[in-house]
Amino acid sequence: MAAQGCTLSLWLWLWPPLLLPLLLGARAAATRWSGEGTTPHLQSIFLGRCAEYATLLSLQSGNKNCTAIWEAFKVVLDKDPCSVLPSDYDAFINLSRHSIPRDKSLFWENNHLLVMSFSENTRRLMPLCDVLYGKVGDFLSWCRQENASGLDYQSCPTSEDCENNAVDSYWKSASMQYSRDSSGVINVMLNGSEPKGAYPVKGFFADFEIPYLQKDKITRIEIWVMHEVGGPVVESCGEGSVKILEDRLEALGFQHSCIDDYPPVKFLMCVDHSAHPDCVMNSASASMQRGSPYLYTTGHVSLMISLLVALTSSSQV
Amino acid sequence: MANYEFSQVSGDRPCCRLSRKAQICLGVGLILLIASIVIAVIFLWPRAPLVWRGEPTTKHFPEIFLGRCLIYTQILQPEMSDQDCKKILNTFKRAFVSKNPCNITREDYEPLVQLVTQTIPCNKTLFWSKSKHLAHEYTWVQGKMFTLEDTLLGYMADDLRWCGDPSSSDMNYDSCPHWSENCPNNPVSVFWKVVSQKFAEAACGVVQVMLNGSLSEPFYKNSTFGSVEVFNLNPNKIHKLQAWVMHNIEAGSSNSCSGSSLNELKLILQKRNITFACQDNYRPVRFIQCVKNPEHASCSQISKQFGS
Repeated sequence: MAAQGCTLSLWLWLWPPLLLPLLLGARAAATRWSGEGTTPHLQSIFLGRCAEYATLLSLQSGNKNCTAIWEAFKVVLDKDPCSVLPSDYDAFINLSRHSIPRDKSLFWENNHLLVMSFSENTRRLMPLCDVLYGKVGDFLSWCRQENASGLDYQSCPTSEDCENNAVDSYWKSASMQYSRDSSGVINVMLNGSEPKGAYPVKGFFADFEIPYLQKDKITRIEIWVMHEVGGPVVESCGEGSVKILEDRLEALGFQHSCIDDYPPVKFLMCVDHSAHPDCVMNSASASMQRGSPYLYTTGHVSLMISLLVALTSSSQV
Repeated sequence: MANYEFSQVSGDRPCCRLSRKAQICLGVGLILLIASIVIAVIFLWPRAPLVWRGEPTTKHFPEIFLGRCLIYTQILQPEMSDQDCKKILNTFKRAFVSKNPCNITREDYEPLVQLVTQTIPCNKTLFWSKSKHLAHEYTWVQGKMFTLEDTLLGYMADDLRWCGDPSSSDMNYDSCPHWSENCPNNPVSVFWKVVSQKFAEAACGVVQVMLNGSLSEPFYKNSTFGSVEVFNLNPNKIHKLQAWVMHNIEAGSSNSCSGSSLNELKLILQKRNITFACQDNYRPVRFIQCVKNPEHASCSQISKQFGS
């Protein structure tokens, strides 16, 4: 009985280490790369978005030939998944580029969904994902198989796997063009609750957008550092990586300003947290706020005095 | 001079050599031939499509519709990725192509409605009336509620135009009926009536409606909400309808909930055994209005503490 129990427990100890390499091996065979595989029906989604943009969304885009734009784009689908350069998208960009209205550019880091909500589909602002050459690829993934023609639907390389992957090169190429075509007041939305810092010193904005801004077309750059409602305030204007950005823009000769929690965007963040103290203004605190800071302080002081009195009187008893 | 006279010689002509039976056969054959030529002309002669005064089918309609279907089922709501988008497009088209665009019926859209089934979670339905843009901004930001245009069928068709023509199996890209042409049973209007009804029938739990308090009648009986949706709510599935009456920010605050228009809605619902609740300027939606007007009195009290 004991021997049987011993064998059983030995078996229980042994099978995970035996099975695990098998499982890992199987997983490794299934996902060669660390990123998501090609989006199913990529061509139809691409063509649909292109048609919708050209027809319904923007007058800037004029008469775009979506079939030709797709033909220019799909050359990268024949290339080795780790040999796609930003310049491979030149023909695609040339056919799909259009002007960006002055003062409507919005650059950002680490707040994609908030940017989409705020820009209102080109009505308020026009971030890269609301420009034709940004819209067609937004949230999509694509790459060729490693050792065969045809798309890889299992996985695609990210920057962790190799630098010259199809998707990163696309965004690098699109970012550079977007910067070149931006003019007037430039808006930048950063995430001040991001633990790694609001301004990534190595990122799309730092490496592929700032260097391509056209100084003669730009009046000034306005930075908004947004903080999550009830979230940590990791950095604000003038602090940490935001200071690094401000210094860099200064050195480049741009006029710039910075606002913490730019109200129009903050209101949007409050929609889902309407009861949170950061978003609430009840009548009591409203009157305190509206009164002079002096009155607020005196109120505070008189409370302290009455507390002290209460303490001393109770200690005397 | 010889007297050439042609005299009628009865019975002495080539046709009369044929028997009576043959004459009849020839006559019938001739009639049939003429008839088939006429029929061929009627059915095969390319006819021009009917001409209307309204905007035509949206350019690139099939590409846009298909793209939206794929984006919705593959990216936005991946639990619906088993839907066959090409089949949905074809079923949609069959409802109105090759037909007179003023004779579209609910039954025409029945195959489409049967094909695309989607369950909306309870307490997540948001109706709207005369407040489309604000309602959509709200669901887009909040991310958990559904207007009709956040369901697959509504998402695909929103802001598009379409119609067919009896002379063609394709959509009409030249013109479609205008609202002033006395053509209420057109493909677009019938579509929205049908899907609005299904949307209301399927709603469960506590449902919301966003109304426009800056109008004299926030609850308008001739609107789709007032004429279709309200009457297709199922009292066995819905126990409460909550109205958010939003006023333009410039208008400041007012009390529409106690007005006669909303009272009418309350009575209709009471008769149907559905509880009614009403709120003026529902706060989360007010925040969306403040995005455009952060300096306005109703908004600046709150924005003063941002960034502090």
